[in-house]
Amino acid sequence: MLRGQSNRSTLHRLVLTLGVVALAVASVFAFADALDGVLEVRSAYVNIDNGVFLLHARIEYPVNPAIRDALRDGVTLTFDLETRVDRERRFWFNANIVELTLRRELAYHAVSDRYVVRDVRSDEQQTFPTLEEALGYLGKVDGWPILVEPQLDGGNYVISVRAGVRRGKLPASLRALMFWADDWHRVSEWYSWSLPV
Amino acid sequence: MVTSGVNEETKARLRPGSAALLILWTAIGAGALLLLLKSVQNSAEFGRLQPAVLVLNVIGVIALVTLLTRKLWQLVREYRDHVPGSRLIARTVLIFGALVVAPLLIVYLSSLEFLDRGIDSWFQVEVKQGLNDAVRLSRAALDLRMREYSERTQSFARTLEKVSAADLQTRLDDERVISEALEIVLFGGHERIIAASLENPLETLPSRPPSDLLRQVGQLRPYVSLEPQTGGKYIIRTAAALRDPLASTDSRYVVAIYPVPAQLSALAEAVQRSYSQYGDVAAMREPLKYSFRLTLTLVLLLAMLAAIYGAIFSAQRLVSPVQDLIAGTRAVGKGDFGTRLPLPSRDEMGFLVHSFNDMTKRLRRAREEALHSQQAVERERERLAIILARLSTGVVAVDRKLTVSMANHAAGSILGTDLSAATGRALPELAATNERLGQFVAAIAVRFAGGREEWREQLDLDSQAGRRTLMCACTPLPGEDSDMGYVIVFDDITTLLQAQRDAAWGEVARRLAHEIKNPLTPIQLSAERLRRKLLSGMKAPDAEILDRATHTIVQQVETMQQMVNAFSEYARAPEMRITRFSLNQLVTDVADLYRSQDPRADIHLVLDAQLDMIEADRGRVRQILNNLVTNALEALEGVAQPRLEITTRSESGGDAAYAVISVCDNGPGFQRELLGRVFDPYVTSKPKGTGLGLAIVKKIVEEHGGRIDADNRSEGGARVRVVLPVKDSTRSATGGTRTRRALAEGERA
Repeated sequence: MLRGQSNRSTLHRLVLTLGVVALAVASVFAFADALDGVLEVRSAYVNIDNGVFLLHARIEYPVNPAIRDALRDGVTLTFDLETRVDRERRFWFNANIVELTLRRELAYHAVSDRYVVRDVRSDEQQTFPTLEEALGYLGKVDGWPILVEPQLDGGNYVISVRAGVRRGKLPASLRALMFWADDWHRVSEWYSWSLPV
Repeated sequence: MVTSGVNEETKARLRPGSAALLILWTAIGAGALLLLLKSVQNSAEFGRLQPAVLVLNVIGVIALVTLLTRKLWQLVREYRDHVPGSRLIARTVLIFGALVVAPLLIVYLSSLEFLDRGIDSWFQVEVKQGLNDAVRLSRAALDLRMREYSERTQSFARTLEKVSAADLQTRLDDERVISEALEIVLFGGHERIIAASLENPLETLPSRPPSDLLRQVGQLRPYVSLEPQTGGKYIIRTAAALRDPLASTDSRYVVAIYPVPAQLSALAEAVQRSYSQYGDVAAMREPLKYSFRLTLTLVLLLAMLAAIYGAIFSAQRLVSPVQDLIAGTRAVGKGDFGTRLPLPSRDEMGFLVHSFNDMTKRLRRAREEALHSQQAVERERERLAIILARLSTGVVAVDRKLTVSMANHAAGSILGTDLSAATGRALPELAATNERLGQFVAAIAVRFAGGREEWREQLDLDSQAGRRTLMCACTPLPGEDSDMGYVIVFDDITTLLQAQRDAAWGEVARRLAHEIKNPLTPIQLSAERLRRKLLSGMKAPDAEILDRATHTIVQQVETMQQMVNAFSEYARAPEMRITRFSLNQLVTDVADLYRSQDPRADIHLVLDAQLDMIEADRGRVRQILNNLVTNALEALEGVAQPRLEITTRSESGGDAAYAVISVCDNGPGFQRELLGRVFDPYVTSKPKGTGLGLAIVKKIVEEHGGRIDADNRSEGGARVRVVLPVKDSTRSATGGTRTRRALAEGERA
């Protein structure tokens, strides 16, 4: 009797937990394909210029009517290029040396009818007449200093690059509200290669 | 006691649990209030805290659902099992639940509606339209300026077509100052700068022409664009190609950048910012609704579950003392007065429980007292039963209808029936199977019928087994009419009377022997002397008279002598000469003797081969046999086919072995009225004989420690049964008849 009862209450709990999880999952997929399209790092490499490692990357960002419409409606998109350099370790996890993010925002400037790309760190901005040109600009990163030679002291290093897009520039309170329903957030696979030292 | 123990244990287990729950709820409530206060003060803070609040809510909902499921399941089970109080709990929960859930649902639904409408109102079409119009207005304002600058650049380009290379820089500088442009640059093919005029040439370089500009100029079309700059400024970039028929391959074009007035820039920037912000926020419309709905639902669930849980919890708390009372009442109903209920509080329920405890305490005390009295009565009864069982006096208690309410063992043995199972049965019903009991019942029924309730009388009961004399006394028992009864006490005084008679006869015999025997010898001697002296000298007729007279005297004296001897024998108590002999052999000898004397005598012997030697006075046992056989043969005189049967049998009673001799005949049997007294002297139905034969037999048997009884056989004829102990030691132990006679004499004295 007691055993049966405990089994039954376990079942109740299980069903309940599953329900809650299902609700959460459903909420994540509720607005699923806003950032549909290819998002990947096509190629990336570094060269050393006077002891400074400069990253060059070619990234393909998704273009679709949803993005275009959203931008036209005044939504700002944030493009992140994350870079990390890890030192390989044989018997343990790799040690992280550098972790940098190149963050840029893309917005449609309604008054001038141009697309504006703004570097968040330097606050520099470029304007483009078309979205394709703006995305082309965003997808071409050249000579981004990520590392200086003294940071390396032998061993094998792995450089990984990943691109991400999300809907940004929201008031803090609203962004927090969206934490479970933010479908406007995608990241690419890591693009990694070993650094010959 | 068990009930109360369990209850106390349950209470003890519940209390820390409820305390923990209370603390938990207080903490959650305080936390929620704090978060609310913080979020009211600062919306950014609210945004930061909101996930925590939501996670907390989800955890709360899961915890509550788990608890509630358990509680509900427990309730359903109790309801199905008809546990006392479960119906009351269910009803209370239903009422509480309905009272709480209904308003909550109303508030929830209206809030949802309000929320939807509220959020929708933020993103009204009018706002959007207004913004679009503002943007268009800004564009129109700027377009005017752009067109103006574009035309100016085009006309400037046309003027430049005729300017020589040496004057180019001067013209550009002049134009820049006049038109207040930020920079004017003349490009050649491949974006080669031919001449440039900058407002601040030391700090800035000519900006690179954008790709769309090049495309447009390449097609010889004027170019103008508004470009937002960092810090909310705007520039207008214009370009126009120079028509150079001379250098078609190396086409030249002029690019001029004009500032937008600060005021216009600020306005345009404000419009743009609003547009952008609105866009960002508007995109959040659906997710925002979703979030608020979810939050609201969670809060509703939390409140509803908490309310229902609280309802169940309160109902259980409320009903718990009632359940205790029900369990306690049931326990009392089953006779467990040790139940003590825990006092729930000092309210009315507490008073009720206190009264219940008080009641059980009193009941327990009363029951203990009753038990003690009952035990005392029981002890008394047992004592009385032992006394009654050991009494040799028969005691029978009956009611008016003669139904037995009590009868002791002695009563049964005196009346010759087993009365151990007679309780509750009517005496007349029992009497049907027993003659003696029938006479007894008839005797007392007659007295009751005569209205006599208290009497003391002697009753004589005759039956096949002989006559019994009882001294009987009856007394009414105290009680109401319906259960009024009588106790009848009776003693079997047959043996006592017999002993008295024996003693009296012994005395008579002794006196007779003494008083009569003494004159007999002189009478006989005198008669013989008369005869001797006178007979020879007398004449024949006289002599004959004398002879006959003296002969008669002598003969009668001898007869009297014999009689006196017999009395003497009866009264005498000679020493016993105990020897060991075979009883069967003795019986055979006696039978043979009678057969030889009287050839008519048809004597059958049925002898028990198991019966071996017995220890007794052989001569006296022979006398017993002689007397009995003589008695029987005398009774058989005149019977067509006389038959006498002597049976010996071995019998054991108690620790001792007995030899039983039965002498049966097929004669007329004993007269019924004499049956109780056949062993008394001078009780005889025969014309001759002293009447002492059976009396002597009885005396000898009793001297041997045996017993004798006489009755009539159902198939006709008399039977006398003698029981003698096989061992002399048994006789010594039983005392013999002399002791008993002495006792009887003492009693009579």
